[in-house]
Amino acid sequence: MERGGFSFDNCVRNAMLESAGYQPPKARKTGTTICGVIFEGGVVLGADTRATSGNVVFEKNCEKIHYIAPNIYCCGAGTAADTENTTGLIASQLELHRLSTGRESRVITSLTMLKQMLFKYQGHVSAALVLGGVDLKGPHLYTVYPHGSSDSLPYVTMGSGSLAAMAVFEANYKDNLTEEEAKLLVKQAISAGIFNDLGSGGNVNLCVIKKGKTEVIKGYAQENPRKYRRPAGYSFPTGTTSVLESKFQRPVSEIAVVTEVVSESVSMET
Amino acid sequence: MVREGRMFLTRSEYDRGVNTFSPEGRLFQVEYAIEAIKLGSTAIGIKTEQGVVLAVEKRLTSPLLEPRSVEKLVVIDSQIGCAMSGLTADARTLIDHARVETQSHRFTYDEPMQIDSCAQAICDLALQFGEDGKEEDAMSRPFGVALLIAGIDVGGKPSLIHTDPSGTYVKWDAKAIGAGSEGAQTALQEAFSKTLTLQEAEVLALRTLKQVMEEKLNKTNVEIGAALVETGEFRVYSSEELEACIERL
Amino acid sequence: MDPLLRPGHNAPHLPAAMGPGYADVFDRLSRQGGRVETTGTNALPTFDAHAGAKQASFQPYQNNGGSVVAVAGKDFCVVASDTRFGLGFAVPTRMISRNLVLNDKVVLATAGMQADTCTLHKVLRIRLDMYRQNHGKDMSLGAVSQLLSNTLYYKRFFPYYTFNVLGGVDENGEGFCYGYDAIGSHEKVKVVCTGSSQSLIQPVLDNQVDGKQMYDGQPVAELSLEQTVELVKDCFSSAGERDIYTVGLDGRGQPPLYVKILKLAFVLTSHPLRSKYTRSHFIQGQSPAVRDSQTTTDTYFT
Repeated sequence: MERGGFSFDNCVRNAMLESAGYQPPKARKTGTTICGVIFEGGVVLGADTRATSGNVVFEKNCEKIHYIAPNIYCCGAGTAADTENTTGLIASQLELHRLSTGRESRVITSLTMLKQMLFKYQGHVSAALVLGGVDLKGPHLYTVYPHGSSDSLPYVTMGSGSLAAMAVFEANYKDNLTEEEAKLLVKQAISAGIFNDLGSGGNVNLCVIKKGKTEVIKGYAQENPRKYRRPAGYSFPTGTTSVLESKFQRPVSEIAVVTEVVSESVSMET
Repeated sequence: MVREGRMFLTRSEYDRGVNTFSPEGRLFQVEYAIEAIKLGSTAIGIKTEQGVVLAVEKRLTSPLLEPRSVEKLVVIDSQIGCAMSGLTADARTLIDHARVETQSHRFTYDEPMQIDSCAQAICDLALQFGEDGKEEDAMSRPFGVALLIAGIDVGGKPSLIHTDPSGTYVKWDAKAIGAGSEGAQTALQEAFSKTLTLQEAEVLALRTLKQVMEEKLNKTNVEIGAALVETGEFRVYSSEELEACIERL
Repeated sequence: MDPLLRPGHNAPHLPAAMGPGYADVFDRLSRQGGRVETTGTNALPTFDAHAGAKQASFQPYQNNGGSVVAVAGKDFCVVASDTRFGLGFAVPTRMISRNLVLNDKVVLATAGMQADTCTLHKVLRIRLDMYRQNHGKDMSLGAVSQLLSNTLYYKRFFPYYTFNVLGGVDENGEGFCYGYDAIGSHEKVKVVCTGSSQSLIQPVLDNQVDGKQMYDGQPVAELSLEQTVELVKDCFSSAGERDIYTVGLDGRGQPPLYVKILKLAFVLTSHPLRSKYTRSHFIQGQSPAVRDSQTTTDTYFT
């Protein structure tokens, strides 16, 4: 019978191949700067937008602030697939939870579910998260590490650019920030990652969560607009690349046209 | 203390060590080596705009001697040749060194060595006499040989350079070395002109040799060669070409 | 096949380095003797990752990234490189020189490991000075190309981790470039790129300069010096977008500290009309102030 969760079928085979020198396919990592800060009445989350595969920038404007619940968002660093699926999984479980309870999700609930899942997989699910939200108890901010541990702090950073971002927080954080101050501080922290960490780059995305209101701001700061383009541009008129050979193949079978026919004798059941 | 009744009465003990100056500031061993060249057969070099001619006398001491085995005109690199006078065995060492240096230059820089640099390389070795012998080729005494180096630089510039045992090298338009050098040099000085053609230079070289040679000049007792601007190469003439030159005398 | 290029060899990753294929994996498996086991009851091979002799590892190389480009024209050559010194995900320095102006006609640009680059440049500078003193002339482009090859091959079994392009004008005043691997194999070309963005930039240059993939290889219009500079700048600008170890161009005006400009080291030419681009226009100074004032590419060409 099919069961949920991961399949470990190829683990032994892969271990053998790896020990024999075969390089496994590389997962896309979000060499990343993510962070969050608590202000008066809410939290601000921030993330850069670069996804890399080795030395190559895979995506210049990706989204790393994931939806968990209307009042809870979560920034993800690590393996892109892991952060997307982990947050997606928890988001759908919380949705079911809200449907059955009729109550707003609490941040601590999502934290517990995330860390239990990550602990279960003993660090093999490479998701390093910054979780933030506002619930009936007020604003909350956590970091979750890939092995399942967590911290609760007024300002947090994660990812390869976390040191650069934390340097900004340590220098400029103060208690009881206003919303605008918090946004500026997060922007500065992410920018520090963008400029000083090669794994981070692109733009600054923000998410501001307050009681009853959540705002996702994409491209809050555009730090790397392209500064130069060749004036002459590039033009390739039709025929630039010569056709060496052409061959036409008819469709394997004739095209079938399907027309929808509505039968009046069938009535909708209610 | 002065030893008398010897060959060189006044030169005393300062002519023993190659590293010892005399009180007058002379290195007698080097001077003796230069003297040795005057015992060698005559060699002549003449530079023209079309190239550099080298001609040498070969002393064939016996009719039983194989003339081709007396080699006084050699190729160093494709663009450089050399005539010698004096202890020709010493010249071997210098020429082998020059050949290695020119090949090394080609290997390192993918270009032919300049004639100047080649002469410098030869003189570097010529100067190393009496040193501790870290250099394999270095000798305990000065090399008893003078060379006339002829060659064409990149860009087609001809050069004629004379080196002597002191490690000095000087550029010449026309130069004679060896036993007949004094008479030959005078003759060259009178006959030389910057406008000489290569053919005229060939004739002048042979005519001058003929004047100073004891034997009658023929195709077996002289050698002639030239570095040509046209090809950028040095070549020793074949016996047919030599014969043609002699006929023009 | 070059032993350095063989899969599994720990020498520097040469541009053409290949990943191990299946055939190689199983070839190695069969040579590992006792480490591959198949038991009677369980057909799966078992592996002990900790089995076998331990070896102390000596890792003398690091990759500091960077990209270098040379494009030659009829009577000029443009040599360019970026200035980012990368180390892992960090940027220890934003402003290093990968270029070495060897003389009025020859410029070298080197990507790879910066320590080796510095050493190689020092060695070459000395060799060029010695040549000038010994032979009474500057080395020609061709002579430098051979000297560089020998210098690299001299360290065949402990190579400089450097990837070089050499550009300049030859004795006839024609522009040429040479591209190298880490151990001295080289080729005389009209356009070359190496370093971390090689795979991004080289195809664009081939297409735009050589007309590759266009009109069946018919000759394309030659680029002027200005057009060449624009193309090279665009190449770095584009590569900087996608390669984390190459920095793109910055805009006009005061460049912010965090992104630095492409350093167009030197534009070489023998054309009398272009003599306004003399050596003094270009940078070799080590002082950041001098460099900052002179490396903004835009100021060169306005």
